[in-house]
Amino acid sequence: MMNPADQSPRSPRPVPERFLASKATLRLDALMTWLIRIGGVSIIIMVLGIFVFVLSQILPLFKGAHIEPQTETAVVANAAQVKAFGVDESSRLPFVYEGGDELRFIDLAQNGKIISEKLTLPVGARITAQDYHAGNHRMAFGTSTGQVGLIDISYASEGTGAEARIRGSAKTSASIPIGQEGAPVEMIGYGDSGSGKLFAAVQNQSGTWKLVVFPLVQKNSLLGAGKIEKGDETDLTALIKGKPVKLLVPQTADSVLVADESGTVSYFFLNDGHFEKRQEFRPFSDTASPAVASMDFVFGDVSIVFTNPAGETRMFSLFIPQGTDKRIYGQTRTFSNLPAGATFFAASERNKSFLIGSGTRASLLHATTESTRWEQTLAFEPAAAAVDGKFNHIVFLGKDGKIRVLGLNDPHPEAGWKAFFGKVWYEGANQPKYEWQSTGGSDEFEPKLSLVPLIFGTIKGTLWAMVMAVPIALLAAVYAGQFLRPEVKRVVKPVMEIMASLPSVVLGFLAALWLAPILETRVVSFFLVCLGVPVLAMLVGVAWSRMPVLTRARIKPGREWLALLPLMFLAGFVLWKIGPLVESLVCVVKDPATGKVTADFRLWWPKVTGCSFDQRNSLVVGLMMGFAVIPVIFTIAEDAISNVPNSIIAASHALGASRWQTVQRVVLPVAAAGIFSALMIGLGRAVGETMIVVMATGNTPIMEWNLFNGMRTLAANIAVELPEAPVHSTHYRTLFLGALVLFVLTFVLNTAAELLRQRLREKYKIV
Amino acid sequence: MSDEATASPITGVFTLNPRMIEVRDFSFWYGAKQAIFNVAMNIPERKVTAFIGPSGCGKSTLLRNLNRMNDLIDGVRHEGDILLDGQSLYDPSVEVISLRKRVGMVFQKSNPFPKSIYENVVFSLRVAGRNKRSELDEVVETSLRHVALWDEVKDRLHESAYGLSGGQMQRLCIARAIANRPQILLMDEPCSALDPIATLKIEELMSQLKEEYTIVIVTHNMQQARRIADDTAYFLLGKLIEHAPTSDIFTNPQRIETERYISGQMG
Repeated sequence: MMNPADQSPRSPRPVPERFLASKATLRLDALMTWLIRIGGVSIIIMVLGIFVFVLSQILPLFKGAHIEPQTETAVVANAAQVKAFGVDESSRLPFVYEGGDELRFIDLAQNGKIISEKLTLPVGARITAQDYHAGNHRMAFGTSTGQVGLIDISYASEGTGAEARIRGSAKTSASIPIGQEGAPVEMIGYGDSGSGKLFAAVQNQSGTWKLVVFPLVQKNSLLGAGKIEKGDETDLTALIKGKPVKLLVPQTADSVLVADESGTVSYFFLNDGHFEKRQEFRPFSDTASPAVASMDFVFGDVSIVFTNPAGETRMFSLFIPQGTDKRIYGQTRTFSNLPAGATFFAASERNKSFLIGSGTRASLLHATTESTRWEQTLAFEPAAAAVDGKFNHIVFLGKDGKIRVLGLNDPHPEAGWKAFFGKVWYEGANQPKYEWQSTGGSDEFEPKLSLVPLIFGTIKGTLWAMVMAVPIALLAAVYAGQFLRPEVKRVVKPVMEIMASLPSVVLGFLAALWLAPILETRVVSFFLVCLGVPVLAMLVGVAWSRMPVLTRARIKPGREWLALLPLMFLAGFVLWKIGPLVESLVCVVKDPATGKVTADFRLWWPKVTGCSFDQRNSLVVGLMMGFAVIPVIFTIAEDAISNVPNSIIAASHALGASRWQTVQRVVLPVAAAGIFSALMIGLGRAVGETMIVVMATGNTPIMEWNLFNGMRTLAANIAVELPEAPVHSTHYRTLFLGALVLFVLTFVLNTAAELLRQRLREKYKIV
Repeated sequence: MSDEATASPITGVFTLNPRMIEVRDFSFWYGAKQAIFNVAMNIPERKVTAFIGPSGCGKSTLLRNLNRMNDLIDGVRHEGDILLDGQSLYDPSVEVISLRKRVGMVFQKSNPFPKSIYENVVFSLRVAGRNKRSELDEVVETSLRHVALWDEVKDRLHESAYGLSGGQMQRLCIARAIANRPQILLMDEPCSALDPIATLKIEELMSQLKEEYTIVIVTHNMQQARRIADDTAYFLLGKLIEHAPTSDIFTNPQRIETERYISGQMG
């Protein structure tokens, strides 16, 4: 028993100095701890920063239009009678035409000061019909005396700085008499494509209406461009059923569209100087009110927006239906209903947006995406509306006589979920499609921004690369890890690692300029080698295992490849050489035109499968990208296989398992997690690979699994298009969206892979 | 000595072969280093023969040569010969796979596969292409009963072998080794990682197993050798010093090195 007094607390003895950690050690430890912490945190911040940046580039794509009232100016006494209304490109000087012989510009900067421009009309004539085209500020008119003409409205800047003013002027061209002399023109349409000019007019010829169409022709002589003269008139009256209510001539000046009372639209096409009635359709034949209340072109004059008196809004576009060769109109879109037939309409001159409305209801719609960008019930009733050339303002002329300017901020109307990921029926297409075509030749071009073909291309490229790489890399890893003698492995592994360090631009260059031309003519040889060499190797294996044990004992385990290698090379060489012979026997194509028989895989493949054959195709990409991916997969998989504990390999051998049985039943399951990681890292490399794809494919964003044509991947798309995309344009932001999709794709893949890998590791964990 | 011999299901003979394994003047090198020097010995059938000796004396190396496990190591070579039932192990006509089916092995550290208990036991049958369910079930039960593991694991045959304790795992490895009924069972310090109770179980098991199998065991534990072995061979620095019935070795060693070793003065 201890004396309790002995347990009384004693002051601890000082710890001898030799047990203490030195100050320097502690300080260094603290410093390194902090450095590592800072490093780790900054990496997370950087990754997040990139993510935030990419998001900040993308988010504006998904915003709707922002519209706010700016100015309100009272000017016009009788706004309900307004015949034409338009604005300059920055909405500072709208004009109003109320009939009569003057055009009134309203200077909003000077509080609605009116500047009248006199129109020079024929004597005694009054304008009875007009058609104003906002894009080229030109108003075609018809008079009570049976004449037609054009008024060109132009804007000019005067002064600088605060004194800067815009001055508007109107120039009236000489009038041309049409049809029956003196009979009033009731409706007019005019289109001008630069080379062609086309008038269409409905004339009241002594009580009966006539539809008269004629071009303006310019005779060119040796002395230069000649005078513009009226061409031959065509009377189309007989070809339409009811009285025309709407008349449209597109700026292509090659056709005329007429809607009659019954709601039937006739489409006349100018073919070789003659008008043919190409189509007759009723946009609202299936509805309760089939009449056409409005009919207007969307920018580009390929699509027409119709409304009926019930307010149903539909869009028809020109396209060539499958199996025919003529462009006709067909319904491609339906928009949400208006309260009644449209009373005002204004198309943007920048994009496929348009402002449409009825009564006090106004909507800004976008044709391509079929989306409503903005919608509001206004406090006033507009008599007319305009969207300026810069797509920065909406200008309403209210029935109360006030001009209201609304600021419009909608930089990305063509963007949206549907545009990026949905099937869209583009203008000119005969069905809804996923399509990527971000830029086009003309201003009227409709951007096609579907990311689906790019995602498809990414998957296709990756898939073909993996098809090429995985069998070779995995078998090589198994062989090197479990069969090959270590002294050979010590050479093979570093060589494979050097292969991984080859710059992909070099591989791409080789693929495009060396491999593609060879493969183009030797597809059959290639496939013979691909099939023949492995089959031969397997046959040799079978034969070898049948040989007597004494014969087999001559070659030590792990040295078999020395015997097989020359054989494989020989077989590869022979198969490569007999490829053309096989091609000449199998791939025979008869030219239907000449009857000439040729043996060429490049012709045979499209004939047999209906798919195309390109020189730079997925096979080339798959091979080269496979070449880039093989060392990645090989190195990691080989590590995983080599790391399988010897104890269980020995156990397997001791139980009488052969080398392959050991690999199959013990090594592969145990190494599965590592092998899976290897595959995923290889996949990641292939998904993000850029240069090889850029250089070795045609970069065509098509959606076909065909091995013999190209693809465009997300990564390649960014590389190719980002340099030419204007900063902060829809195109630019869409490319960033592509980057995000790529990121999400790899993120999802890697996360799924990691989860699976953890499960595999758990399942085959070695204690 | 053959009084107790019964019909062996494997050999089908009634007399036991006193020279089941015949090591003839055997030397062995790892690269340039010689590990075994001119060892000659006979190992009798259905007896337990223990190899004892200090670390690095070549006893494990010799054991691993008995089923040519050393083939898996690079740069090894040998001289002399080892005969199994009169046939050389190194004859070119010997398939190493079939040799290993005849000579099973249990390792120092238990090394079950990352599979279920069931699949561990039937591994040797599966690699031999025997996949009949009823046969496998029967083998699993008899093998596990043989190692007295059946009652402990019969309800979790399809769970991972890694859920077993160390002693159970080692017994599972023995069950796995005898599942395909080899003639010879090599055991390389099978109890070195086990606690005394597990060790005792394995030792009991060995004395049962020798009814059917020829057992060669490497052990550091002289008491173990004394308890279970019929014959004991003492190795020192790659040489066989003494090979005699266990009782003789321990009570009346002929060589001074043996005596020093078993009396604990060296080793």
